[in-house]
Amino acid sequence: MKRRHDEDLQTPITAMIDIVFQLIIYFVVTSSVDKDIVDESIRLAEASHAPAVETSDPRTVIININAKGRVNVALQPINNMQQLENLLLSMKVQSGSSVPVLIRCDGSTRFDHVDQVMQRAAKVGLYRVRIAAMVDE
Amino acid sequence: MKHRKEEDLAVPMSSMIDIVFLLLIYFIITAKDEVSEAHLAVNLPAPGRSKAGDTKPQLLEIEVYEGQYSLRGVFLSLDNLELALRRFRDPELTVIVKVSVQARARDLVAVLDLCQGQGLNKLNVVTLR
Repeated sequence: MKRRHDEDLQTPITAMIDIVFQLIIYFVVTSSVDKDIVDESIRLAEASHAPAVETSDPRTVIININAKGRVNVALQPINNMQQLENLLLSMKVQSGSSVPVLIRCDGSTRFDHVDQVMQRAAKVGLYRVRIAAMVDE
Repeated sequence: MKHRKEEDLAVPMSSMIDIVFLLLIYFIITAKDEVSEAHLAVNLPAPGRSKAGDTKPQLLEIEVYEGQYSLRGVFLSLDNLELALRRFRDPELTVIVKVSVQARARDLVAVLDLCQGQGLNKLNVVTLR
């Protein structure tokens, strides 16, 4: 009886290690995929009425604006607005004027930084933009 | 030897089930995290187009300053703005949100969110200079 108990304790370890390795690989893969889209340093403003989005268009251009007004797209910093305009223009040429633009701005970003981005979007003919907010429950 | 092999095959099931439950919990938690973002759709004015030309009968103007809001020229707190907006629950109504450059993004988001909460989806954002 004691011998059997010992065996029971020893066996799962190899299977567990296999699965732990799989989990590690899964986390490494998913974290690197997520990172080039979402800027974690941005704390979105809170919204309590709007519904949470379930699926978003994969063509979406996500423009991040941090609290200091620094702009980045897919973690690539945008230093001047002309660069952003060119990027938006090429996205529009690629996917048409229905390409969704999502502005993820920090809650404490001053509106003039957001306005600069909006102006460039309107200039290239993308009049419909979305502003991201965090749904608080 | 054969007896031992049978035991080896039977044992991992419980640990595997444990880990499957862990995976399940992990997926539930991450799935909730992803959907907790709302996207507020707004329209932008075309550059260089004068607004004096388009006179729409159904128009509601909200001005946003740093921590201050005004509806048709009357300054209101956020709570009062919500109460006031209840009278305009018309999905056809076009709302023009004029935002001061001094305002913070959270002030704008708060107003857009209130409008969406009242079913006002035709939201336009204009910058006040």
